[in-house]
Amino acid sequence: MENIGALAILLAFCFAVYAIIGSLVGKWAKRPFLALSAQRAVYSVWALLTSAVGILLYSLIKGDYRMAYVWATSNHTMELQYKVAAWWGGQEGSLLLWSWLLATYSAIIVFQNRRKFRDMMPYVVGVLMFTQTFFLILNGFVASPFKMIAAGRGIVDIGDGQGLNPLLQYWTMVIHPPMLYLGYVGFIAPFAFAIASLATKQPGDEWIKTTRRWTLVTWMFQTTGVLLGMGWAYAVLGWGGYWGWDPVENASLLPWITATAFLHSVMMQEKKGMMKVWNMVLVSSTFFLCIFGTFLTRSGVVQSVHAFSEGPIGKYFVGFLAIGITLTVYLILSRLEYLKSESQMESVLSRESSFMFNNLILLAGCFAVLWGTLFPVITEAIMGEKISVDKPFFNRVNIPIGMFLLLLTGVGPLIAWRRSSFESLKRAFMWPALSGLFVSAALFAAGIRSFYALMSFGLCAFVLITVAIEFFKGARAISGKSGKNLLVSMFELTHRNTRRYGGYLVHVGIVILFVGFTGAAFNQDTTVELPQGGSMTLGAYTLKVVGFEEGENENYSWGRPKIAVTKYGEELPMMMPEQRFYFASQTPTHEIALRRRLNEDLYINYAGPGTNNSNVILQVYVNPLVSWVWIGYWVVLFGTIICLIPSKTKLVFPRTEVVGMTSKHAGKPAQVGTNENES
Amino acid sequence: MLLAAAILLIAVTVLFTFSIRDKDMPAPEPLSPTRHLDERRAAIYENLRDLQFEYRVGKLSDADYQQTKVGLQKELAGVLAEIEKVSSGAPPTPVKVETPKVTPGTVCPHCSATFPQPLKFCGECGKEMS
Repeated sequence: MENIGALAILLAFCFAVYAIIGSLVGKWAKRPFLALSAQRAVYSVWALLTSAVGILLYSLIKGDYRMAYVWATSNHTMELQYKVAAWWGGQEGSLLLWSWLLATYSAIIVFQNRRKFRDMMPYVVGVLMFTQTFFLILNGFVASPFKMIAAGRGIVDIGDGQGLNPLLQYWTMVIHPPMLYLGYVGFIAPFAFAIASLATKQPGDEWIKTTRRWTLVTWMFQTTGVLLGMGWAYAVLGWGGYWGWDPVENASLLPWITATAFLHSVMMQEKKGMMKVWNMVLVSSTFFLCIFGTFLTRSGVVQSVHAFSEGPIGKYFVGFLAIGITLTVYLILSRLEYLKSESQMESVLSRESSFMFNNLILLAGCFAVLWGTLFPVITEAIMGEKISVDKPFFNRVNIPIGMFLLLLTGVGPLIAWRRSSFESLKRAFMWPALSGLFVSAALFAAGIRSFYALMSFGLCAFVLITVAIEFFKGARAISGKSGKNLLVSMFELTHRNTRRYGGYLVHVGIVILFVGFTGAAFNQDTTVELPQGGSMTLGAYTLKVVGFEEGENENYSWGRPKIAVTKYGEELPMMMPEQRFYFASQTPTHEIALRRRLNEDLYINYAGPGTNNSNVILQVYVNPLVSWVWIGYWVVLFGTIICLIPSKTKLVFPRTEVVGMTSKHAGKPAQVGTNENES
Repeated sequence: MLLAAAILLIAVTVLFTFSIRDKDMPAPEPLSPTRHLDERRAAIYENLRDLQFEYRVGKLSDADYQQTKVGLQKELAGVLAEIEKVSSGAPPTPVKVETPKVTPGTVCPHCSATFPQPLKFCGECGKEMS
């Protein structure tokens, strides 16, 4: 069985190499047969990798512990969903997941565009399969999941495996890595189209629409993956937070930031033919940051709770990045003439300039995170000693950047495209700015003294009012014309321009996320050792240890103190944080007890027995507003889905006329105009 | 059994990839020489639509609206002329844009909107034209 898996990977490698050669030679030598067979080779790669994945999953579920990967990541006591999750629980399996997702994306892209972009598709296939070949080299020759455990000349069957890392035996880990990988891998689609457009010097912007849609889909997956990772960190690691500026967390954030910048600046290319070089740089950076993130996780260059053990694969990633970046830079530089802007910025007071600021700020954030992440590597290279920057560095740099971005989230929609006068800006800004100031002043009066918290809440109010006014004014314009009520008009408004109003909903989600992040300014925590019957107080909560339970099943043993909780004297349900000890891996883990509310979370971690064995050590956290982080995500997701729905547009141009016309047609006014429905 | 499975895997994928018949070849993609101009035209229409909408919701002053609208319309006229030239096979030439003569009652004194025939009230802002 395992031989068939290894053969499938080897064959997939051969087909991927053929697809590169076939598509490019087919294009250059004008042999459509070769180009078509190269596209079919893409489907074959997918089918072969699907077979390999099927075999690996079967081995994990059935428990074929002769295979080194199965032995290292699975055991007979694990539940089915964790046996499936073991696919990406180790280095070899997760690289196979990367490869399989890439093959799946490639097959979808080829199928979707089988009758379109005939000129570009050979290059798209070339880029996709070049990357696929790289990962297949890793799957087949460097980190094969089908290696067997051998003693001497014979294969050894070990009765049971070590099992999945207990930290990964949590429900979000079943979906967090696939989601994050769907994001990471998916960014190859916009990159492949961008490179193909450069190679063929595509006239027009049709390809950029395809690129934008793919970026939006993969951005959605990446957002989901990052948020699920935050949920996992919050619930499993037991330190009371959801984001620790860990190198691997940062690695997932970097391409998200550049993709966000691209999703904004691409509008300028679509509308005005501007920022073409910049967009190429963003698309390429996003893709290479994804590869870089994968490299960080797997090479052992940085220490992280997420990192896989140090292996030999780092140098392969460095090689791929070096070749890929060199070719991309060369291609961009050789096509600068083709990438020339078609128009200029007309005014500083315009939507275009707000997008440019947004891009600069996002880039500054990206650079700050990258710098902090690579600082240990840089210091080791220069000084021979690894110096890590910690959470306060990241917070100090990124909080002001975040504030500025939040401000621009509100400013952008208020400014018109091309130009705005100071007077109209004053009118547009008045209510949102007053609301923001009012919220900040009210919170100050209520006793809040944290500068950034006051600023953040004020800006959140500013953005929310901005978006509300946008929806209200738009709906009122439709309502005034159609006679429909405001709610129906608002729905109609969104349906007419899903991209714009879906985008506004995403902004609302981001605001809600910021509300949640700002709550961290008021976090309280303490660590105490309590005897049976002992109690402690944190904030409004009083906790009393009233008992202790322990037991075991075949996978792990567990112990949990019973904690009676009161808030302002009112009794709340009993909370029981748990410590587990997994037998197979000899590893302890913590299952926190969490009371979630919209205003604050009470988070209790049982760190273990105290000096006296009957004592318990508790880490207690009161985290305000954390629930808004998760709510914000759902709003972001909803807004993104709205953006992906096609707009309802009827192009009717009955009224507006061209005021200037060619000399040939002078005196014969051409009827052109704007969509009446939109007005 | 193992050998048979391996042979089957190889045979199926090789056959699928390379057994291409004439009828499998895709029909040539219809190529329009004006495709990129058509896309540009659609983008300008969309910009005009956005502009009108932003004006209606009060994001633009009358003067900004008129100035931007005229700019976009001139751009559109250029693209339309270019499309016609490309369609008729003539080599594309730079487009001369002329502004039509203004006759009384056709330009709004309040918002500068222009109309082909004299009007009593402005079709854009609703104010008196005189």
